[in-house]
Amino acid sequence: MGDWTVHIVDDDAAVRDSLAFMLAAAGFAVRTYPNGSEFLSVARSLRHSCLLTDLRMPDMSGVELIRRLKAADAALPAIVITGHGDVPMAVEAMKVGASDFIEKPFDDAVLLEAIARATGERNAPAGDGGIADDIVARLDTLTPREVEVFEAVVGGLPNKTIAHALDISPRTVEVHRANVMTKMQARNLPELVRLALAAGYDITSPVRNPINR
Amino acid sequence: MVGGQGVSSSKPFRSFWLAGRHRPLYGLMVAIASVLTVFLLRYALSDVFDDGALFLFFTPTILLAAMFGGIGPGLAAVGLSLIMVMVLEQLVLSREIGLLDFIAFLSVGIAIAWLGEAFLRASIASTTSAEALEEREAQLRTILETAFDAAVVINAEGVIISFNPAAERQFGYRLDEVLGRNVKCLMPEPYHSDHDHYLRRFLETGERRIIGTDRIVVGQKKDGSTFPMKLAVGETKTESWHYFTGFIRDLTEREESAARLEQAHGELARLSRLNEMGEMASMLAHELNQPLAATINYVQGCRILLRDIDNPNAERARAAMDEASRQALRAGDIIRHLREYVVRGGTQKFPESMHTLIEGAAGLALLGSRDQGVRTEFRYMASHDTVIADRVQIQQVLINLMRNALDAMRDTTRRELIVTTRNDGDMRNIVVDVADTGTGIAPETIERLFQPFVTTKSNGIGIGLSISRRIIGIHSGTISVFNNQDGGATFRFILPTLQQMGDSDG
Repeated sequence: MGDWTVHIVDDDAAVRDSLAFMLAAAGFAVRTYPNGSEFLSVARSLRHSCLLTDLRMPDMSGVELIRRLKAADAALPAIVITGHGDVPMAVEAMKVGASDFIEKPFDDAVLLEAIARATGERNAPAGDGGIADDIVARLDTLTPREVEVFEAVVGGLPNKTIAHALDISPRTVEVHRANVMTKMQARNLPELVRLALAAGYDITSPVRNPINR
Repeated sequence: MVGGQGVSSSKPFRSFWLAGRHRPLYGLMVAIASVLTVFLLRYALSDVFDDGALFLFFTPTILLAAMFGGIGPGLAAVGLSLIMVMVLEQLVLSREIGLLDFIAFLSVGIAIAWLGEAFLRASIASTTSAEALEEREAQLRTILETAFDAAVVINAEGVIISFNPAAERQFGYRLDEVLGRNVKCLMPEPYHSDHDHYLRRFLETGERRIIGTDRIVVGQKKDGSTFPMKLAVGETKTESWHYFTGFIRDLTEREESAARLEQAHGELARLSRLNEMGEMASMLAHELNQPLAATINYVQGCRILLRDIDNPNAERARAAMDEASRQALRAGDIIRHLREYVVRGGTQKFPESMHTLIEGAAGLALLGSRDQGVRTEFRYMASHDTVIADRVQIQQVLINLMRNALDAMRDTTRRELIVTTRNDGDMRNIVVDVADTGTGIAPETIERLFQPFVTTKSNGIGIGLSISRRIIGIHSGTISVFNNQDGGATFRFILPTLQQMGDSDG
């Protein structure tokens, strides 16, 4: 673990410094940046590094930062941190290349695991043929209603909104959602989103159009 | 009805006419007098008529008696006439009268008596109703004159034809100043200019905008100041007359009870309060999350640092850190649930007229404010004012902005609240400006004004403008503020019109 450097981009100094403190305690080399532009200026020279960025920042959003890194040919494993209710934005970040997202506040174990996954070589890159087939097989076990819920969930919609859009009770949405997680063998939402992306699912378009307001 | 108009004019005659108890007696006297008169007349003229026109002379007496006394005196006149005819037969006639002539006269006489009775009844009915009408009119006048609410009656041209004392009090005009003037003098712009048009449109199309409902609108006093009022309009229409009566309650009047104020606020106030609570919870959740996340990070960092130290105290401190971290995460969960709770299942958006929204919001914003003497002006320059909006939310923004404006003008001498609308971007946007002549906003505050918990008021919590920004954001619009050149501030929000919405759908 020790030979990886974690680069933290967050406009909130308290969150930035506390993250640095925690990750340093866990044995990582850490560097912090108050905004995306500062990180971009050094990103090309980095080796063996991982990015941990906030999503909502005034000058450049986390999504925009990842997109620009890619464009500058300086892509690196990236984890985004979201506030509540920013799931659609987090999904957007994963579409442009982020490997994971974490909702604030989080347990250190969750973050450390996400970093391990992002930096570890054991994970095959998304879109790998064999895995995709496997995911498609799992998708085939979903009922039509469960597919609808799956699409809405990975689109980042809250249960209440899904219930409203599908005209079923929030309670029923919860049941469908639990079934989806079990059948897809996903432990949490980021994992489900990763699976959907790996299966080549176009997440945003089918879901948000009917419910978009 | 035929004779009705002729007889109902002079009072003594009418009272005689209607002297119900004595009517048969008068009728009988009329019968006797008229039959005797006709008898004498016919007797005197017997040389002229010879044997002719005997019965004909007596027929008017029957009608006269029946008209005065009803069928009884009418029949009496028939009987008397028959006797007189027989007397005449003996005195002057050269021949005998046939039985058939008597029977014919008798039949015609009864018919005439019956007709006279019917006429009498009709006359009584119409006279009675005319009197009742006069009495009701007097009652109505008393009611209007003592009513607490202002009542203004206009005709189809919009000209004021009645203005009660409460209206004089509310608007500051004397009766003789407004009688004959157009009612638009009681309204601020743009209603002032548009009212004739509204009235014409109603008369042409019959499409009701205000009649039959009561609405909160803005009225203008003689001195130019504006006040919120509740207006109910009724319509009176006959073949020859078309009136509109407006009942107006001044909602700022001091006697206003708290209950009535509450009622006038109604649904809008309740919903906006709920909205405000929800937004506040949501915002608190967001704001608290950052320090909470930082706290958890520090605690967990400490725990990791303590992990490899082999010391009983370090062990206990690590357990305490675990617990502290769990508690902080629990706080995070509570906030998460709170936020989930206030996230609505989607706002209810419908096509709404911005001008109608402004009108309603203005009434509520001015309502209950003790600020007298604020001149309110609406300049509606937007020709396309339809937006897809949650009515309650947009009105809440408008009310927030207008209340802020009123607050800002509390200590200034010139108090003008001017709401302007116009289209820009090829009718795709509507720009709404709420401008005041208050103290303006300090440059150091203006930057942060829309952030939560930033306020310039001593009694504010700084949530109104941040909610307004969120609401406008939800409606795909923008909101901004700038100081005016000649003092005061202008809040401006821009929303897409239906025009633009239609484009993006298709």
